[in-house]
Amino acid sequence: MTDPLEDARSPRDRAARQRFVLDDTGFDEVPKKYRRFYRKWGGVNDALARNEVLCPVCKVVIRSTRELRPGDRVYCMPCMSRLVVSVGEGGRLEALVAY
Amino acid sequence: MSGFLSAYSIQNWLESCPQGYLEDTQYGHAPGQTEPALVLDNPTLLADTIRTTVQLVVGERCALAASSGLINAAPDHASKAFLATQTLDEARHVEIFTQRLYDLGVKKSELESTLAEHANPNLVKFAEVLLEKVDKGDFIAGVVGQNIVLEGMAFSVFEMLQAAVSGVNPKFANTLSGTIADERRHVGFGENRIGSLIKQHPERKADVEKMQKEMAYHMLATFSTQFAQSGSAMQEGQRMAQAAEGNGAEAPAKWHGADLATATPEEMEGVLSDTVLKEFKVRLGRIGIEYQTPAAP
Repeated sequence: MTDPLEDARSPRDRAARQRFVLDDTGFDEVPKKYRRFYRKWGGVNDALARNEVLCPVCKVVIRSTRELRPGDRVYCMPCMSRLVVSVGEGGRLEALVAY
Repeated sequence: MSGFLSAYSIQNWLESCPQGYLEDTQYGHAPGQTEPALVLDNPTLLADTIRTTVQLVVGERCALAASSGLINAAPDHASKAFLATQTLDEARHVEIFTQRLYDLGVKKSELESTLAEHANPNLVKFAEVLLEKVDKGDFIAGVVGQNIVLEGMAFSVFEMLQAAVSGVNPKFANTLSGTIADERRHVGFGENRIGSLIKQHPERKADVEKMQKEMAYHMLATFSTQFAQSGSAMQEGQRMAQAAEGNGAEAPAKWHGADLATATPEEMEGVLSDTVLKEFKVRLGRIGIEYQTPAAP
């Protein structure tokens, strides 16, 4: 499994998730087969898509082939952090580190 | 103990780093890239660039000593293997910033005297606080000092320098890009390893918080003296960047709200200090350590 979405345990899992085709954005800080799953963050004005969440540890955007939902567990390969997706202020998806 | 490292290996490091973003680079940048004439031909800018680069070498020598010293103190093999790759990362950083000093005209025979002449005494004290913990084999304090405080500071400083030079010095911007990528792994290791260890050893919090406060004080003192020395060079750099912009060069970026084309040294010191301290507070808070506000230098 190469997708950073490791464990989809959202209570809304019964609803179908939107699928995404990921293109290579030039992110080269992980081995080649994983590169399309990450991209550089453009700062506070960088709007994230429904399949994306920002890693709070290394500030890289994590991208899944599936829509992300609160409760999902994702892996950030550039900094090796395991994260849990949650809803932050304004309804935006955030990631909390699971130590 | 260190499950976050289960997907990490020397092979992973090889594919990400030397075979990834460092592939086809020489001393961290594309072959043939050189320091721009606006730095090499301007005595004020050249002296300030050498002084700034000296601090990078001093900081990276400290990081090399700390990461290599922590290998034998690490309580598990996965952490030892990670720290071995970090040690090579830090040795590379020492080498590329030292090479930059040579590219700026420092003679190899004068390297150590140049470092001794320009090393900021506050940065040296910052390093001494960390290396004292490492020398005692204190893994928890050593990793917090190295991978959260030192690397957290480096992460922000490198990002600020990269934003400042991105339009006028592609060579140095490329060099910094690779070091920032390395720092992502280093801060990730620091947070994830200590995040679990501090839960097992809550009695260590007070000692670690005291060290963080001391290191943060020396860091702020370093910023204060560096920006105080860089006033005329910053003005000169901004003037030349504006002239270059008129000739089609990329405009200097904004960094955390500061306009790098017009910001004064005092403004930049404030923005950098605030940014690094906020990051410390957030990162330390996530792993259960209460950030301690240092005295104003």
